[in-house]
Amino acid sequence: MKNRFNTRQIRIIMMGTMLALLSPFVSADAVSELKNELELLKKQISDMQQLLKSQQKTMASKKEVEAVKQEVKGVKEVARTGNEWGIADSVVHLAGYAAVGYTDSERADGGFNLVTFNPIFHYQYKDLFLLEAELEIEVGDDGETEVELEYATIDWIINDHAVLLAGKFLSPLGQFRQNIHPTWVNKFASAPIGYGHDQAAPLAEVGVELRGGFNVMQSGRANYAVYVGNGPLIEIDAGEGEIEAVESEGLASNEDGELVWGGRLGILPVPGLEFGVSGAWGDVGPEGEENLLRDYRAFGVDAAYQIGSAWDFRGEYIRQRVGSQAASAAPDAATFKAWYLQGAYKFLPSKWEVVARYGDYESPHASQNQEQWAIGANYLFASNAIAKFAYEFNDGLKGAATDDDRFLIQLTYGF
Amino acid sequence: MKMQKLIGIGFFGAIAYSVLVVGIQVTQINTAVADEVVPAGDIGRGAGLWAQNCARCHNMRDPKEFRDDLWKPIMSHMRIRAGLTGQDTRDILVFLQASN
Repeated sequence: MKNRFNTRQIRIIMMGTMLALLSPFVSADAVSELKNELELLKKQISDMQQLLKSQQKTMASKKEVEAVKQEVKGVKEVARTGNEWGIADSVVHLAGYAAVGYTDSERADGGFNLVTFNPIFHYQYKDLFLLEAELEIEVGDDGETEVELEYATIDWIINDHAVLLAGKFLSPLGQFRQNIHPTWVNKFASAPIGYGHDQAAPLAEVGVELRGGFNVMQSGRANYAVYVGNGPLIEIDAGEGEIEAVESEGLASNEDGELVWGGRLGILPVPGLEFGVSGAWGDVGPEGEENLLRDYRAFGVDAAYQIGSAWDFRGEYIRQRVGSQAASAAPDAATFKAWYLQGAYKFLPSKWEVVARYGDYESPHASQNQEQWAIGANYLFASNAIAKFAYEFNDGLKGAATDDDRFLIQLTYGF
Repeated sequence: MKMQKLIGIGFFGAIAYSVLVVGIQVTQINTAVADEVVPAGDIGRGAGLWAQNCARCHNMRDPKEFRDDLWKPIMSHMRIRAGLTGQDTRDILVFLQASN
């Protein structure tokens, strides 16, 4: 059993005893003072005992503390491993981009002529399948909302070097249409001439595509894409007796019964430097003349080079050719070709970037032929939120829209 | 015309067949020699590959922009777009997940 008296209490008792013994020899005032002090000390001791008792009542036992520790440990473990998003077999992700733009042409009034929203849906099941789909939702000239399916593929991840895509996919010919065209990726407020709809570069295809990559030597890499699809729709202007356009947005039909094969091989001898060669061929039966087959050929080369974080250079050449057919209302062959070179420089660490581009587009129609110099400045609020300012010096058929110089502003956001 | 078409079909068919055969063989070899069929990603290699490949097309994105689980489908998408190998993809993925 513990000693019930502490040092202070013993001192008080001794003082009391001494007071009693010495009281006959001291004055009455001194005795009274000592008594008061004794009473004060007694009260303090009593208060301390009360405080001690109340603390003992509220203090947790060692066993209780241990139980709480175990509980905290368990909670920490759940927090660390219990993220069900991280362990789910299926993952859903929404990506995409949007853009708004203003254009002022040389011979037309300026206006806000671009409002687009492109949501991209990703649904992945383990490391086996990925569903990808992109919509392009756009406000048309007449105020109507236009919706197009840019691409939608079910991707079977076969192994480390091959992925099989089935559905509507972006054309792998060249780089721009498959990788650079999203507004937050393209450094210009416009596409290079010849790389728009119904021009020289194929846009998309419906069929199957095999894609992948390999390591080459120590630091080199290669990537490939091969596909077979329905091919483009050849539009004929019977009145003019010429091929109007090669529509290559990706057709879910094959009226001529012929498939088109194509692909691209890309080589990166060193990181940051890529060369690519593309091609496609098959037979096509133009719209309304599906039985009058003619050759279809596409050929392209591309290159891209990044130096550090500041410099970005790229260039591409693409050509589509539809062969002749004597029995057709448009018997002559038609060739659509375009190329461009582009350079960009970031003023790091500032958020400004400048870009310059030269392009040339040739088609069988003089009104479509165009040559273009373009310069631009971009302000990067973030890597995916960019304001673009650009000026195009266009040289086309006199009086045609292709000859109008243009000033463009675009705000784009990729997510 | 028919001959060119046959050559084209043969050329791309041969590439596709070769890729499939090589890929399946590589997978089978991995299965035979290791319990873990798919090698894990390497953060160090991933950091280098992230720096080398993402800017081939677009501005670099901060690893902190997305959660771990969201980087997975993003990287699968970018693997297909950029022609990365599966191992490159896993390396970059673990780097992004470790850096966000």
